[in-house]
Amino acid sequence: MDTYRKSPFVKISVLVFGGLPLLLWILGGFPERSFLKESLSFVTMLSFFFMIGMFFFSRANAVVVKDLKMHRTKKIHKAIGTTCVSIMLLHPLFLVLPRFFEAGVSPDDAFVTIVTTFHTGIVLGMLAWILLLTLGMMALMRNQLPMTYKTWRRWHGILAVVFIAAAAWHAIDLGRHSSLAMSSLIILLTAVGVRLFLKHTITSKPQKPRIDR
Amino acid sequence: MTIERIDGCIGCGTCVKTCPTDVIRRDPKTGKAVIMYPADCQICHLCRMYCPVGAITISPEKSIPVVVSWG
Repeated sequence: MDTYRKSPFVKISVLVFGGLPLLLWILGGFPERSFLKESLSFVTMLSFFFMIGMFFFSRANAVVVKDLKMHRTKKIHKAIGTTCVSIMLLHPLFLVLPRFFEAGVSPDDAFVTIVTTFHTGIVLGMLAWILLLTLGMMALMRNQLPMTYKTWRRWHGILAVVFIAAAAWHAIDLGRHSSLAMSSLIILLTAVGVRLFLKHTITSKPQKPRIDR
Repeated sequence: MTIERIDGCIGCGTCVKTCPTDVIRRDPKTGKAVIMYPADCQICHLCRMYCPVGAITISPEKSIPVVVSWG
């Protein structure tokens, strides 16, 4: 555990993917709504940023692999993945959860209205949700899928890139806290993360088996 | 004494239909709700209550006080 805590990359990541969005959130008019609504926003926002962070906690990032070694990087990737994918898959329900405690439209009516509104942001959100579910299932069932690890890894990365592009657009379009600064941060981090993956995928060459003498 | 902000609108148009005083309109370009005539707002909270994503903020301190002076 100390290795993770002492790692400069982990510290910087917590600040970039956790601290910076929180700072922008606080500067953008927090807190105004009920504690429940703000907590749900907080959890969703952090999960989204840490999902972008998963590109940085991967094999594609030579800095983190050097700092933490691959097995620890993989552990962080899996931990963030399990937690954040679960939260992001549930976040459409977070929107209607406060409706249980308020007057007005019922939670199920609110949910039906959301999913039947064919606005670009909603459609992209639904696309991202399906991609995320596929990504999650693909990760959980890796050993059952009829493909080699390297093929799986490549498909996992390609799906992740398509997902993050749709999800980032959705978040910028419909995100309650997507101010100009927050949107710029999303674009910047997503672009750098995707670039890392693409650079690694395009430039990586098959390694010859190492012979230790 | 009006709606303060609309953040995270999904463009469903429910608030436009529920507003009795026609304060909210939909932006023709983005399809999202915009506060068009804030001065007409009666602070009935219907738009806020019927918004499926809770996008509408009505500042509590700007609401009509419950007890009014008899003057």
